[in-house]
Amino acid sequence: MTAAAARPRVDARAKVTGAARYGTDRTPEGLAYAAMAVATVGKGRVVEIDTAAAAAVAGVRLVLTRFEASELKPPVYIMAGGHAVQSLQPLLSDHIAYRGQPIALVVADTPVAATEAANRVCARYEAAPFALELDDEDAEKLRQPEALPVPALADIAVGDAEAVFAGSEVRVDEVYDHPKQAATPMELLGCVVEWRGDTVVVHEGTQNAGALRNGLALQLGIDPADVEVISPYLGGGFGQKNSLQPHLGPVALAARRLGRPVKFVMTRPQTFHQGSFRPASRHRVRLGADGNGRLTAAIYEVDQETSRHDLFPAMYTEAMSRLYGVPNFSGPTRLVRVDTQTPGYMRAPFESPASFAFESAVDELAYAVGRDPVALRLANDTGTDPITGQPFSSRHVAECLRRGAERFGWAARDPAPGSMRADDGSLIGWGVAIGAYPACVAPAIAHVRAGADGRVVVAVDGHEMGQGIRSAITFLVADDLGIAVDRVTVDIGDTRVAPQHLTAGSWGTASALPAVHAALRELRARLGVAETGMLDVGAAVAAAGQPTVEAEAATLGPGQPPEMLDRSRAGKVAFTGPVYPGFTSFSFVAHFVEVRIEATTRRVRVPRVVSVVDCGRVASAVTAASQVRGGVVWGLGAALREASEPERRYGGFFNATMEEYVISVNADIGEIEVDFIDEPDPLLNPVGVKGLGEVALVGVVPAVTNAVFHATGQRLRRVPITIADLL
Amino acid sequence: MRAFAYAAPATVAEAVDALVALGPGAKFLAGGTNLYDLMRLEVETPPAVVDIHRLAGFEAIDTAGATELIFGAGARMSDVADDPVVRAEYPALSESLRLAASQQLRNMATVGGNLLQRTRCGYFRGGSQYPCNKREPGSGCAARGGIDSGHAVLGVSDACIATYPGDWAVALLAFDATIDVAGPHGERSVAVAELHLEPGDTPQREHTLAADELILRIRVPVSRAGAGSTYLKIRPRESYAFALASAAAGLSLDPGGTVSDCRIALGGVATRPWRCTAAEQSLLGGRLTTDAARRAGEIAFADARPGRHNAFKIELGIRTVAEALRIAAERAAR
Ligand SMILES: Cc1cc2nc3c(=O)[nH]c(=O)nc-3n(C[C@H](O)[C@H](O)[C@H](O)COP(=O)(O)OP(=O)(O)OC[C@H]3O[C@@H](n4cnc5c(N)ncnc54)[C@H](O)[C@@H]3O)c2cc1C
Ligand code: SF4
Repeated sequence: MTAAAARPRVDARAKVTGAARYGTDRTPEGLAYAAMAVATVGKGRVVEIDTAAAAAVAGVRLVLTRFEASELKPPVYIMAGGHAVQSLQPLLSDHIAYRGQPIALVVADTPVAATEAANRVCARYEAAPFALELDDEDAEKLRQPEALPVPALADIAVGDAEAVFAGSEVRVDEVYDHPKQAATPMELLGCVVEWRGDTVVVHEGTQNAGALRNGLALQLGIDPADVEVISPYLGGGFGQKNSLQPHLGPVALAARRLGRPVKFVMTRPQTFHQGSFRPASRHRVRLGADGNGRLTAAIYEVDQETSRHDLFPAMYTEAMSRLYGVPNFSGPTRLVRVDTQTPGYMRAPFESPASFAFESAVDELAYAVGRDPVALRLANDTGTDPITGQPFSSRHVAECLRRGAERFGWAARDPAPGSMRADDGSLIGWGVAIGAYPACVAPAIAHVRAGADGRVVVAVDGHEMGQGIRSAITFLVADDLGIAVDRVTVDIGDTRVAPQHLTAGSWGTASALPAVHAALRELRARLGVAETGMLDVGAAVAAAGQPTVEAEAATLGPGQPPEMLDRSRAGKVAFTGPVYPGFTSFSFVAHFVEVRIEATTRRVRVPRVVSVVDCGRVASAVTAASQVRGGVVWGLGAALREASEPERRYGGFFNATMEEYVISVNADIGEIEVDFIDEPDPLLNPVGVKGLGEVALVGVVPAVTNAVFHATGQRLRRVPITIADLL
Repeated sequence: MRAFAYAAPATVAEAVDALVALGPGAKFLAGGTNLYDLMRLEVETPPAVVDIHRLAGFEAIDTAGATELIFGAGARMSDVADDPVVRAEYPALSESLRLAASQQLRNMATVGGNLLQRTRCGYFRGGSQYPCNKREPGSGCAARGGIDSGHAVLGVSDACIATYPGDWAVALLAFDATIDVAGPHGERSVAVAELHLEPGDTPQREHTLAADELILRIRVPVSRAGAGSTYLKIRPRESYAFALASAAAGLSLDPGGTVSDCRIALGGVATRPWRCTAAEQSLLGGRLTTDAARRAGEIAFADARPGRHNAFKIELGIRTVAEALRIAAERAAR
């Protein structure tokens, strides 16, 4: 472990005492409260809307059902070069694209009045048929390379996978299904919007303050300089808060019209119908191998849902084609349009479902050739990216597997399914799987200010969503300068201090730290001190004869063109990776899982998990381990509990409450042992970090399902696995 | 939520008077964990509530008596679950409470209110967007032909297949509990077995109490099968979830191991707390073998009528009965 080993989160105390202020914790003077009424048909048109009863509720100030396109322009979808979580802006027309789409915004003096008034809004609809699932008749299937003809989304193909597969000695050919899943962050979607003259101040928990600023400005037709977005903390983003949300424009307009600040917090059931979510996906995996299980070909076909109004790019094959040294690979990908809000990025958005399919198939291969699943994986390891032929910047998959097997006690495993039993008669199953996640980077701008009082203030692109980026930055600065952690202040998630590019895809730390690192070099140069080593900051600043000394640096990822900084300043997505000039960069992980299945009632429990991660250098040990445990908890839920259930007759998601959308609770979680390789990546950036947050989840689901196979001999190719599958 | 009037009387007599005075539709409010919830969903819209959670003596627990245990209707679920006599002598009762809801809810919710909690059927709770005969008699049943994986397989009707969600009433039913109620016309006693109704053609009628009757206390006759009992609850996660299937089982065994008393009641699978008399009788006078336990489960589910997605509850229920009997027998033999 590094020197950072036992240091707690820098904001731990603020969080547990409630001192940390989240977006909708703000209550400016004169605050009014907004609530939304939503459509109750699966698709169609609003024929008539009656707001009289809503307007009559005591304390109601505004009931808005329609905006003009001149005052609220429709936004552009983030993946189509814009800023928004979807292109469809509710309240601009009578069209209803999905159940749960807002049809009215109510503003009142109290949240109770706003909620009641929203319930009183009454609409009549003309209903239209809709599709909600991959197999529905009206679901439109598109080949992704044709629908989205850009090089980054071309189907991956190397060698001649079809021919080699056809001629392979051993073949696996199976289909795996992954359901829709909802990100259920504790912090609900919402905002507090306040106009100060011509400037609009937005407090909103977001991973992308830059997109909110620029996207809202475009929607309202104002200068981005007149929009301030402040998001020092968010209570879980998981991809759901990665861009401009459809509520912000309407709430901003309501606040302007009323001349009062307005707070909006979406209800939990509405979040299921308006927040982005993990779309359902179907995976056909064909693996060809020799008699020893050495992979010769993989054909990995994926169908993924998207909405009727946007194309959410599916990138399942990117990481799976790099798990092993498979010389022949093809990955045809299709998009399927259904009638929901636009689905989106949810922690390890493609890689977690993909690993369920791919790593289940690899387990099936291990059993087909009679080889230990760890040994089979080691035998297929590679140092070279099989798709580009370039070396990996760093790759410690084998070490993750070996160390994990050792810690787990894998050597004691009897490979025969159903062969291991606990004292109470429960079946024991041990499963393994590996994961990979692209190491991407985004441009970042860091500003440092050192004071004669010895304090250092850092402002940088980045959002604190609980992953610990504030701690990682603080530790970097404290260690670099040799000063105490409490001398360092970090300002992030604030458009007043830096552009605030999207923090997602596990690139946050790998993007912000290099910028801060560069700014520190610049600071040292301005102070005229050595490039490295301990520094008496106060004395150095005083010697410079000024109260403060400032420095700024902008950094780009390897090979990134400078225009990327302009994109970032415009609030657009500007990341690159995992393929860089001369190398390819991924983070890796190996998970080992024990399940116990009760002999009679077949309840599945997971008493222990061992996870070993290769994320380059560990920037903050405590928050890194916490990230991995969080990823494992997600994976256990995905494998055994979580699925959004579409209501095919009425539209929308049926289980849109925390009672019915079953996430894991503490009592479901056993021991999770986390270990890191902690070897700096030599190529990606000078700090040596790769991404961590997402890779932690990749492979947990198949490690569980493989363990269930080992316990029972049942190969279940659809998650979540429930008790009904095991009776 | 709709505006409502609120009264907080001090005594039982005043509470009954207050409810009558507030007029039709007024409801008693105990912990509020179910009623407030349904009011927020606007599934219930009482014009007035009478808060009974501070009534004098309403929360008393008396487990020292020679013939029965007495629980005031206002006793908190957590207090009854943790009562030392209940824990030691009637594990099924204690477990049925401890495995319910969450600690925060159990601290708030009362054992009287628990009996009258309403179904978790999502179409019922989802409000006016869905047809529901229980909420809106005659409107239809959205659960039939819909997402019915949580719904009942026993006691269902064409009008309604909603599961009775509670755990406590199931355990009480197995132990022949009785409730005492007070109304404008005085007091009476009702066996828990006579309290809940199958939906039939009138799913809106869930129990046999009049709207102005107040549950005062719950009485459980002392029984030897108490010590040999368990409440086994199978749910989608280890806490904070309703039962997919549950079984309260209580056994007394002769010194030779023959079953002399047997109680089985089911939760999570039926439209009301479900006693399995035929299954109980199949075990009396014999030894509790693995096969006999399984057979008892099969008898309990002989009349099951599954829907589209809930057929798994039959096999799960059978196994839950068998496993509960095994645990109960182990305890009974101690
Ligand atoms: C998230 C969640 C999870 C839950 N999980 C479980 C679970 O796993 N198992 C389980 O069994 N329960 C569960 N519950 C239900 C909970 O146990 C009940 O809500 C609670 O027991 C009701 O008691 P209360 O005192 O809060 O009743 P209230 O909500 O106050 O009242 C409920 C009903 O009973 C009536 N009533 C209350 N007291 C009396 C009285 N003395 N006389 C006449 N009528 C009365 C009220 O008028 C109302 O109709 C859960 C609840 C929630 C919210
Ligand atoms: S099962 Fe009963 S409660 Fe549920 S929708 Fe049907 S009638 Fe209503």
